[in-house]
Amino acid sequence: MRIQFASTLAVCAALWLSGGTASADTPVTYTDNGRALFSFSVPDYWALRTGGPREIEDTELGDTRAVARVMGLRPVTDDNVWIGFVSPSGVASIDGGLRYLEDIDKFLVKDPTVSETTSTRIGGLPARIIRGTGNRDGRGVNFTATVIDLPQDRVAVVVAILRNGADPAYVDDLNAVFASFKSEQ
Amino acid sequence: MTRKLIKRVTLALGMGVASLTLSACDGVTVGVGYGYDPFYDSMLWNDYYHDVDVDIDIDRPDRPGRPGTRPPARPVPPIAKPPNRPPVSRPPNRPRPPAARPPAARPPIHRPAGRR
Repeated sequence: MRIQFASTLAVCAALWLSGGTASADTPVTYTDNGRALFSFSVPDYWALRTGGPREIEDTELGDTRAVARVMGLRPVTDDNVWIGFVSPSGVASIDGGLRYLEDIDKFLVKDPTVSETTSTRIGGLPARIIRGTGNRDGRGVNFTATVIDLPQDRVAVVVAILRNGADPAYVDDLNAVFASFKSEQ
Repeated sequence: MTRKLIKRVTLALGMGVASLTLSACDGVTVGVGYGYDPFYDSMLWNDYYHDVDVDIDIDRPDRPGRPGTRPPARPVPPIAKPPNRPPVSRPPNRPRPPAARPPAARPPIHRPAGRR
């Protein structure tokens, strides 16, 4: 009886501990017009900027461009690390997502040099990962651009950025964000 | 008596200094703002939807070709150009008048009466 009690206690402690670490992250769902597309977890002590759909006007050409919701994450105390999510409307496949990336990468990173392109699965969904380096505002950056194929003709475009001098411990947080990614459809 | 007074004054000053020191620690705390967030702003901007309607006048008919013949040669003016004359010497510079004074921007409203 006593042994049973001790083991129960151990199991409870393990559950409590694991529950504690799992609930430490904050789940967030990306929605588009009220439709949940995917979710991920925000690490502790990270700040989330949710954004929303909007239109931005080109000051030179005067044309408006629709922009889907961009969610940005960064550590509260460090702006050398950043990860952003967007699910652009009208982009249905990984190839389309790659074309979308080509049309935003020049704004994100100057002189990008792709070092590696791999196909993998994130959250059980097919994904393409592009790793490389570039610079921004005179500082070198490491970027990881990912296109994840969501069901029902949508993709998630994820860009993770580590500027030179960033604490490498944040890589674990970024990987935890990717590990928590899952489709909500 | 004086010792008591000194004690009290010391205590009062000490308390004052302590309260000032403590309140200095309790500064105005402002959370981390999003003042500088270049990557977020860059991810908003895209050219993906921009190149769609570039060729707006794609259905226009082709412009007609130029006429093959050259335009006729210009007629020669009947009156020939006068031959180049030797340059006429310039007249000497006129003496300049002395620079005029700028007019007063606004005369004083009440002119003091001159002494008589």
